[in-house]
Amino acid sequence: MPSPAIEVRGVDKYFGRFQALDGLDLTVPTGQVAGFLGPNGSGKSTTIRVLLGLLRADAGSVSLLGGDPWRDAVRLHRRLAYVPGDVTLWPGLTGGQAIDLLGRLRGGLDPGRRKELLARFELDPTKKARTYSKGNRQKVALIAALASDAELLILDEPTSGLDPLMEAVFTECVMEAKAQGRTVLLSSHILSEVEKLCDTVTIIRKGRSVESGSLDDLRHLTRSTVRATVSGDARALEGVDGVHNLRVDGDTVTLDVDNTHMDTVMRTVTGLGLRSLVSNPPSLEELFMRHYGDELATLNGGGRGDGSTAA
Amino acid sequence: MNAFTGTGTLVRFVLRRDRVRLTVWVLALVGTVVATIPALGEMFTTQAQRQARAALMDTPTGVVFGGPGYGLDDYQLGPMVVNELTMSMLIALAVMSVLHVVRHTRAEEESGRAELLRANVLGASAQMTAALVTVSLVNLLVGGLTAVAMIGNGLETADSVAYGLGLALAGISFGAIAAVCAQVVEHGRSAAGLAFLVLGVLFLCRVVGDMAEEGGNALSWLSPFAWAQQTRVFADPRWWPLALYAVLIVVLFALTYALAGRRDLGAGLVAARPGPAGASGLLNGVFALHLHQQRGAVVAWTVATFLFAVAFGSLVTEVDAMLEENPDLLAVLGGGGGADDVTGGFLGVMSGYVLMAASAYAALSVLRARTEETSGRAELTLSTAVGRVRWFGSALLVSVLSSALIVVAGGVGMGLSASAALEDSSWMWTMTGAALAQLPVALLFAALAALLTGAAPRLVPLVWAWLGYSILASVLGPLVGLDDWLLHLSAFELLPRLPGEDFDAVAVAVALGVVLVANAVALAGFRRRDLSTV
Repeated sequence: MPSPAIEVRGVDKYFGRFQALDGLDLTVPTGQVAGFLGPNGSGKSTTIRVLLGLLRADAGSVSLLGGDPWRDAVRLHRRLAYVPGDVTLWPGLTGGQAIDLLGRLRGGLDPGRRKELLARFELDPTKKARTYSKGNRQKVALIAALASDAELLILDEPTSGLDPLMEAVFTECVMEAKAQGRTVLLSSHILSEVEKLCDTVTIIRKGRSVESGSLDDLRHLTRSTVRATVSGDARALEGVDGVHNLRVDGDTVTLDVDNTHMDTVMRTVTGLGLRSLVSNPPSLEELFMRHYGDELATLNGGGRGDGSTAA
Repeated sequence: MNAFTGTGTLVRFVLRRDRVRLTVWVLALVGTVVATIPALGEMFTTQAQRQARAALMDTPTGVVFGGPGYGLDDYQLGPMVVNELTMSMLIALAVMSVLHVVRHTRAEEESGRAELLRANVLGASAQMTAALVTVSLVNLLVGGLTAVAMIGNGLETADSVAYGLGLALAGISFGAIAAVCAQVVEHGRSAAGLAFLVLGVLFLCRVVGDMAEEGGNALSWLSPFAWAQQTRVFADPRWWPLALYAVLIVVLFALTYALAGRRDLGAGLVAARPGPAGASGLLNGVFALHLHQQRGAVVAWTVATFLFAVAFGSLVTEVDAMLEENPDLLAVLGGGGGADDVTGGFLGVMSGYVLMAASAYAALSVLRARTEETSGRAELTLSTAVGRVRWFGSALLVSVLSSALIVVAGGVGMGLSASAALEDSSWMWTMTGAALAQLPVALLFAALAALLTGAAPRLVPLVWAWLGYSILASVLGPLVGLDDWLLHLSAFELLPRLPGEDFDAVAVAVALGVVLVANAVALAGFRRRDLSTV
């Protein structure tokens, strides 16, 4: 297995007295799409800026494409493309000029792919950047990044200004990038997006990574929701290890089951005379809620697991 | 609810939001008046001195910066204040009023804040009305305090009031012009640009009209820049030209509301023009990017400096006569020798003004890099294969080249017009050389801006503190008899003023050495520090 594209170990970053990163770990295997999840202010953008060599880590080790992003910034930047979370462009340049400029500064971009991406993202390249909405500015940076030959794409909340149609185009583009063997680091608080695209996920909170692994690994740690229609008395499930939130409505029973106890719980359910069974794996949202449950009020519905755009 | 519901609340909101900005404007403008009136009285004490000054105001340059020249035959304090002060006051009021109106109308729409407000119980015209009401209040305040300051210095009450009212009404007219422009185009910057263009044309109308005919011809009468002085205060007062302002203001306000009623929030009457769909081959690196960002400003500063230099240079033939009548001016010009010394000294002082402009631009140009950084654009640029030293170094190079261009434009302009006036073409080379000999001073300001941006970005305002101090000390110091050591803290006193003084190679070399070291430290600092992020 090749060495990971990104390997961050125990990184601290202080801004004055404020600690933005606190022993952060992050690994992005080469050729995979890695999700980087956390609410606003949790340190996602700071981590990305450390990865880009724009900020210097106060402690810990950072390796990006096998190099040190602080010392070898220029050499490494030829091999990556970055889309900031809040894209600001040069007001006097048109979108097309900005795309070309960024491409040239990065070392060239594919004119065919540029043209194709302009069409797919429905961006008018002749408008001055000062007239663009947030979503259009983001498209400019996305097109410049995707039209390059960069082997690593670092995308900081790239869809926060895009409408659902454009989000779909974005999803396709990331899948194509993955098919071409590129590595993608995708920071987001849109859970459905990460679920759709990412092979691995790292959840970060207050500058620390609190959970990481493949989606399957993480699901293993959590509960599935099971809904069953049984002929026996469902109250028999009360008090069984690993059963939570038992709700009985006539002959229908709904319960959350710790995945580690799935086997024993299912045996009990089968013993009740099972007529129908639906089991849903935990959504990423549920993973997320477990870590941020106490911050729900501040999240303001920041992630809805139903596939719609998050705020 | 009608179209004006909520205007009162918005007026208070605007005044609160801009309390610092507006206070600074009012204090600066009224402060200028308060300081200038007694200064004029002290500089020109005898009738002969005053008439010499009046003769200067009768030259083409005098007409540009003075006006139609009422009251020049008997140049007492009143006419002096009007002729010396009006144009700078009007220009300052124009800048203040245009920026204020655009800031609270089109710029608000552009940012989306207007939408947020309009969704509340707020009449459709409330924001525009609040902007117009506040701009009127501020202009009336400046005009009123100006009149008070004049009366306080013993000038006739009626004339002073007419003059203050004229300034205020002119300022309100400029704000009204900006309000119309803000309806026409979609973006705040373009609206301000359009308003300044219109005002520039109106200013030129007055200049050309006043030069063509004493007291101004019909062309001059087209311009609101003329009417404040057409009241002939302190000479042969008449009030009715002020009515022209009233008519103009009413018409423009009505036009603004009519245009606003015909368009949607956020839309303009003229759509923005599309630009190129791709970058030309020239836009191929960070140096080209920095240059592209600044090309408009560089051209504008260069052309403006050149024109001012030509205007000042042409004054050179008046200097001898002026000095005979007013020996005090020697203190300003420096030296005290013969006729050539005086001409050289005069041109040296005028070159000093060019240098001040070039220094301001040199610092501004470097600080553009800081703006790139704080806006987040540098983050995007530096995420590509562009090193920090190359990025910041290119910005410094653009600053050096553009300030050199401005200095040379000033030197050439002054040299050309001095050569023509004195019928001696050698002045052309003398003045260009003199300007270049002072270039290191402008580079010092750029270097300080670079040093602070690179190593201590929070201290960037120090650049402006030193530039402001240097300008004040060098312009006013000799007049008020500033102590030598205080005077020498001014950057503009570091190098000898050619051609009146001798070239000092050591001082120039030291200055250039400091510039190089500061830039090297700046680049090293910028490479080592965290990028400021949004």
